Amino acid sequence: MKKSSITLALAAAFGAAPALGQTVDEKLQILQQEIDDLKAQNRKPAAPQQSASPDSLDSSSMLDRNSALANGGTNIVGYGEVGYSKFRQSGNATADLQRFVFGFNHRFDERLTLHSEVEFEHAVVSKDDEGEAEIEQAWVNYKMSDAVNFKGGLFLIPIGILNETHEPPTYYGVQRNQVETRIIPTTWRELGVGMHGIFDESFRYDVGITTTFDSGKLDDPTTGIRSAHQEGQLANARNLAVYGALNYRRPGLLVGGGVSTGDTGQNGASNPALQGVAARFTMWDVHAQYRVGRLDLQALYASGTLGDADKVTAATVAANLADPSVAAFAAPKSMKGWYAQAAYHAYKQGNFDVAPFIRYERVDIQQAEDPANGLFQDPNNNERIKTLGVNFWVHPQVVLKADIQRYATDKTQDRFDIGAGFMF
Amino acid sequence: MICAARRSLAVLILVFGATAVAHGEVYQEPGAFVAEVLGSTPALKVLWLTREMQGQAAAILGHPPAQLRQRYWSDAHKTVWILEETGKEELITAGFVVVDGRIDHVRVLVYREGRGQEVRQSSFLKQFKDAKAQGNRLDRDIDGIVGATLSVGAMERMARLALLFDRLSHDNAHG
Repeated sequence: MKKSSITLALAAAFGAAPALGQTVDEKLQILQQEIDDLKAQNRKPAAPQQSASPDSLDSSSMLDRNSALANGGTNIVGYGEVGYSKFRQSGNATADLQRFVFGFNHRFDERLTLHSEVEFEHAVVSKDDEGEAEIEQAWVNYKMSDAVNFKGGLFLIPIGILNETHEPPTYYGVQRNQVETRIIPTTWRELGVGMHGIFDESFRYDVGITTTFDSGKLDDPTTGIRSAHQEGQLANARNLAVYGALNYRRPGLLVGGGVSTGDTGQNGASNPALQGVAARFTMWDVHAQYRVGRLDLQALYASGTLGDADKVTAATVAANLADPSVAAFAAPKSMKGWYAQAAYHAYKQGNFDVAPFIRYERVDIQQAEDPANGLFQDPNNNERIKTLGVNFWVHPQVVLKADIQRYATDKTQDRFDIGAGFMF
Repeated sequence: MICAARRSLAVLILVFGATAVAHGEVYQEPGAFVAEVLGSTPALKVLWLTREMQGQAAAILGHPPAQLRQRYWSDAHKTVWILEETGKEELITAGFVVVDGRIDHVRVLVYREGRGQEVRQSSFLKQFKDAKAQGNRLDRDIDGIVGATLSVGAMERMARLALLFDRLSHDNAHG
């Protein structure tokens, strides 16, 4: 009698919202499971909570939501990749934890968020090792609406495809493409302020003002402007740059471009010979990606110029005279490159997705030669690269990769690669 | 009397639910979406997820479902589901209308991520029109959006979940 009364009472309580099919015992089990989950959650450190949906009223979540940020807290994100390369000419091989990146993203309130990434490259960071530890991003975003966002801090410059979206499962091949490595110096980030947003549902704009390169810090002309980067490390900021980008996205299609320009002489802060030298650096790109059926096509063209390159070359000569351990070289005066890539998702089953791909790249870096001082163009700065490979996603966020690369000029780089990458 | 109480509870939940959407770009309040697609706000219904159902939902989501008592609305022809799933790191709230085991209508109601808002484009959402379940997948490929891969994946998972919940709600009604 008593038991049936309790049952009736519970049935009446549950009846506040009509449920179909399940018995009272089943409902009790479900409620018990929810209670157990809530107890388990209560044993964990509390995070700031804000209701996020109409269903939040009964707090019937059974899992520790993997989106703490969505509930007003802090979220951890990351990505990484490991690779093995076997070089054809020398027979040498290397295996490397190329990078491991983790980031903390935090929501302060409904409009203000922090985005950060810390990167470790090549596994070990010490005085005697190749590894690097660096802050890849650390910026605050204030969202007024989808159309109007303001940001400030250390952030990625919106040029190219890879610079902003470079998690290993999002691109083909074990190695990042050379055009977006040697021409666009991915991962290119600067300190600054910017504005971005979406209009007409499909157009994304980005504009801003940032720190820029310091041509007095150039020490490797084979990678274009890359070695002059400052990356927010006590950056010389006498000269600044402005950037702008516009991208159009719709399902299966991306078309866009970006530009950044600014002087890089920094009034000789790193090399006195550059005092009064503008050394304006301008880089722009156009890119497109089109997915039709299982075919995935992608192309990019990028071009950059460094003004006063002959004076930058002369500055390296002056630096070499002052300190013979500093190498003199012909500074890059123009750099351009393009690639075209096609992939076909040949097998898709569950989370598995296998896509062979082919890519052709062209890299052309022209240097400001100084024959009198024996500084000439590096022949390896005119390169063509063919890559044939396959990406195998075992999960949308975990990928295995293999490819063969052939270099037309620097054949020491011909290689076979295998690798794996992940993001979360 | 009981019907009135249920209706009041449903309205209360909708009102509180609407105000409880704490942050992100709110394109449409969930309550307004339900009222729009059903012409009114009918009584709230609840799908209780047994362990077997939870397993089916988890197979789609890749993690256990957030709700064990999934609320929904329906009339004689359609069921309406307000679902949430994480894109890259924030929850996306979307409304799904299911008719005869096929997706009839999808709308992004709240988007909280900094990037990927393009998933609310009509050209993206119309790909789900008439989609039905084929095993644990949709009967078609959904074209993604470059730079919004994880948000696209979240929308696809929610569509599959709506189809599963729709089927389970009908199974229960007839069970």
